[in-house]
Amino acid sequence: MKNDATYYDRVFEEEFLPHLDSLYTFAFHLTYNEDDANDLVQETYLKAYRFIDKYVEGTNAKAWLFKILKNAFINQYRKQSKQPSRVDYEEIVGYHDEEDSTYSSYMDLREEMFQQMMGDEVTTAINNLPVDFRTVILLCDIEGFTYEEIAKIVDIPIGTVRSRLHRARNMLKEKLSEYAKKFGYQDKRI
Amino acid sequence: MRDQHFQELISRVAMYLDNELNESAEKELLREIKSNPAYIQVLSQEKSFRDFIKSKVHRRKPSPALIQSIKEKIRIAPA
Repeated sequence: MKNDATYYDRVFEEEFLPHLDSLYTFAFHLTYNEDDANDLVQETYLKAYRFIDKYVEGTNAKAWLFKILKNAFINQYRKQSKQPSRVDYEEIVGYHDEEDSTYSSYMDLREEMFQQMMGDEVTTAINNLPVDFRTVILLCDIEGFTYEEIAKIVDIPIGTVRSRLHRARNMLKEKLSEYAKKFGYQDKRI
Repeated sequence: MRDQHFQELISRVAMYLDNELNESAEKELLREIKSNPAYIQVLSQEKSFRDFIKSKVHRRKPSPALIQSIKEKIRIAPA
């Protein structure tokens, strides 16, 4: 029976808790802070349990939880954090689904440039991306969500997911290229 | 035109690596890539980059205290 607390506890234990590690990784990359990440994840699970009757057993618990976490982050942390308020890049740069002329180039990051990098450089580069771009990279490249799932989690059209990913990956390559040059790598291509 | 075609190829390579192409589009893309060594390099570089990012990003481990705290709060919170 769906009203049975034991049923809800089972769903929580079997379908929600297994995603704790992924949620915590995501929360940490949003907040940069272990304590804040802990709070965000706790709040996510509390909300998930409060609205557990809205969840259909056996469906996409991971995407559902990530959406709750994303919304909790927007509501709580953007209001009180020192980070800039949400910037709608699409509005500011007149960006549409098709790539604009500035970012139309394919960023060719040579394999030998980045293979020597440690995880810290990569994490720093990701954390330095604007949050909207960081989010799609984390959801797609780290957590493996589909474009459709990302669109629902972030509440944007699928076309925007695709174009935002393209820009985010190019931005990430640019940042890693800067780090590589700092370490003395010189692009000797003609 | 060539640049436009290349940009379109990049877009399809990204979708292919994201498992977002349907079967026929995937076959078409792979056929096109096999016909051009430059395209093979693009696919290889993009795949390497994705694998690299995934392998290097720190996956954080939550503390056992967090799990315990969540479970305790759930016991108190009404469903």
